[in-house]
Amino acid sequence: MLNVLMLGIGQCGNRILDAINKEAFGGSMINKYCFGPKFPSRVDTLAINTAINDLKELRFTLAKDRLHVPNLHGVGANRYNGKQAFWDNRDMIMEEIEKRGDIDITFVITSTSGGTGSSFSPLLIQELKRRYRKICVIIVAVLPFREEGAIYLQNAAFSIRELMEAEADGLILVDNQYLKRYSGDIASAYDKINSMVAQRLLFLIDSLDSEMLMVTDLGDFKTVMSGGLCIGTIGFFQSDKKNPSVKSAIENSLKPSNLLYPANVYDDAARAMVIIQGSKEYLEVDEITKEIERLSASAGQVFKGLVVKRGYPKVLSVFTLASVPELESLYAQAARAIQDEKDRKKRAKKQLTDAFAHIEDMDEIY
Amino acid sequence: MKLVYLAIFLLLVLCAHAQNDDETIFDEFTLNIGDRIEIGNYRILFIEVQSEKDGLAILGVSKPGGTLDEQRVMLVNNANTFDGGAEEGGLTITVEEIFDDQTAKVRVEHKENMGTARKRVSEGPKIAKNVPNLIVKKNLDKGRLTVGEDVKVTVTVKNIGTGTASSIQLEDLPPLSEFTFLAGYPPKIKDKLEPEESDSAIYVMTAVNDGSVKVPSIQVKYKDSKENQKSNNSAPFDLIIDPKSKPQLNIEMVPSGPLPAGGQGLLNISIANIGRASATKIKIESDIEPSVGFEAIGLDKTFFEIPPGKIESYSAQLIGKNSGNYTIILRAAYSSSEESMLSEMQTEIVVLEREYKYLYLLLIIPIMAIAVWILKRYREYKY
Ligand SMILES: Nc1nc2c(ncn2[C@@H]2O[C@H](COP(=O)(O)OP(=O)(O)OP(=O)(O)O)[C@@H](O)[C@H]2O)c(=O)[nH]1
Ligand SMILES: [Mg+2]
Repeated sequence: MLNVLMLGIGQCGNRILDAINKEAFGGSMINKYCFGPKFPSRVDTLAINTAINDLKELRFTLAKDRLHVPNLHGVGANRYNGKQAFWDNRDMIMEEIEKRGDIDITFVITSTSGGTGSSFSPLLIQELKRRYRKICVIIVAVLPFREEGAIYLQNAAFSIRELMEAEADGLILVDNQYLKRYSGDIASAYDKINSMVAQRLLFLIDSLDSEMLMVTDLGDFKTVMSGGLCIGTIGFFQSDKKNPSVKSAIENSLKPSNLLYPANVYDDAARAMVIIQGSKEYLEVDEITKEIERLSASAGQVFKGLVVKRGYPKVLSVFTLASVPELESLYAQAARAIQDEKDRKKRAKKQLTDAFAHIEDMDEIY
Repeated sequence: MKLVYLAIFLLLVLCAHAQNDDETIFDEFTLNIGDRIEIGNYRILFIEVQSEKDGLAILGVSKPGGTLDEQRVMLVNNANTFDGGAEEGGLTITVEEIFDDQTAKVRVEHKENMGTARKRVSEGPKIAKNVPNLIVKKNLDKGRLTVGEDVKVTVTVKNIGTGTASSIQLEDLPPLSEFTFLAGYPPKIKDKLEPEESDSAIYVMTAVNDGSVKVPSIQVKYKDSKENQKSNNSAPFDLIIDPKSKPQLNIEMVPSGPLPAGGQGLLNISIANIGRASATKIKIESDIEPSVGFEAIGLDKTFFEIPPGKIESYSAQLIGKNSGNYTIILRAAYSSSEESMLSEMQTEIVVLEREYKYLYLLLIIPIMAIAVWILKRYREYKY
């Protein structure tokens, strides 16, 4: 059995973590009160934040799984302050993680653009890697809405770089901007995105820990994540009565519209893993093989997992990318924003110096 | 004129005086036999009562010198004159009342100038000679008896008088309904008894009814030599006749209490012989009303014998199926030495409505458990 630790850092990470716990409860409040969460493996969750109100907002996460890092008034999207807060509280944070016992794989879930999550995560990953040598660390990084502002863009740009430097075993991208289309207002868009992420991560853990024949395991997953840029994303499709074909389910799971981050799998995928779950009668081996082969033609390596479970076919695809054009444009945007910000600041400063110039060589007279 | 008044007064006084000398007066005496009255030269002797019943007494009147010596039978309330009677200077004697065979009240009339009549009490025995006196006694050989028992009755008559009693008859007053008379009844004794002689008769009777009986006196009737009818009674007394000794079974049933519906209970039964004889071949049978919804196991039973004063106990199992009031009737049929007898007793058993009293606990416990669980959960998730 896998020992999984889910770390949700910052408000975004906390909320996705809460969504994971909610998913483990089957999504219902009654289950929360009556039964325990049903995780596929031994899953521990821990929400970490500098803002206590964000922690209070959570609904499905145990109180003991919420860790408040005390910092006067939060970090206010300032990553310097965030880093300082981490260093000040590192031992306390690591102690709390140590309490969770053995860890095989950790998912560090965070936004890239906030203050807390984006600054804590790279440092935390370094600490984890230092303390637990064999641990597999996967980052789930949320990209901001592009119109959220210069600081968020800047934070995203720097934090992604730091995350990559932290030598995690892989980074899974979740793009708010891309997923925005699912819902009109921001609050429900967040909920929708969070539950999508939660569902996919749990499905992934389930298949990694399954004891069935023809399944993928943690090693396969690590291999997939180490492919290409080590940056990847997750696609998912659940077929229904109307079209229970496993072929179209696989196809759909690879379609850009079903990914968490916009990519063209057939062009950009470096390595992939396709996990298919469903009733035996739907799992036609020929069709599955054909589809996997088609993917293998473009992606270098494709792992295939079959989980026989009652229901229409569900397909989860995890892949790493060889190129990330969208990310590049984000950096360009960020750079522009930083430059604009710099210019604006300069201009403002000049204005102020000019203004002060008016009273140069003058004294107050009473 | 004054002289005339004086003369009339004197005349009147003289006349009165003259009349006074001539006055007839009377004296009354109660005499016993042998007593005498003396007046002037006369002597009157009360000789005897000849017949109380007929009111005849014999008195003798005499004068010294033998000029008068007469015995006369006098009838009560009839005047008897001697020497021409009191008016003529003689005596008029009347027996006014005869009290008994010894005593009579006598009135003597005479002229006043004869002096005062005096009574001389006789010194000799007052009892008249030749007077029989019977006493009668009735004796039972048992002071207490039981219905069905025989009793021997001895009637003894003794003549303690001085004369012969004849025509002796015994009469029970009245014959007792509590008894049947077996032998020797009515009792017969000798027709005649000389003074100091006694005779007895025995008869046997059987008690037929129980109760407290007043045994009446027995009367003896006899005549004396003068054919005077006399009688005497024995003293009455009380006698208790106990009921015949029989067994009597008393049934007692004590239920363990109201039964819950569908529950069980016990009925403790004791059969006590409160009679005075053994009950045998006791057979106890039961009835339950209404007959459905309630069951009892072990009510029926037999015993060979229950001696007097002994108790047999046993218990029956009660099974209440439906709620309601049930009556258990127990009948004990048993035999005494000569007859079959029956005792009956009933008791009420209540089978309660099904109890839902504690059922709410079944609800409350899980609700509490759930509440505690939810509270615990709430606390776990409260941050
Ligand atoms: N998908 C998703 N994105 C979120 C959610 N909440 C916030 N974000 C995104 O996260 C970014 C803000 O980062 P947060 O996680 O709120 O910031 P933080 O880590 O708490 O840092 P500070 O609040 O500055 O201390 C923005 O780009 C939001 O769009 C959420 O529930 N779901
Ligand atoms: Mg925050």
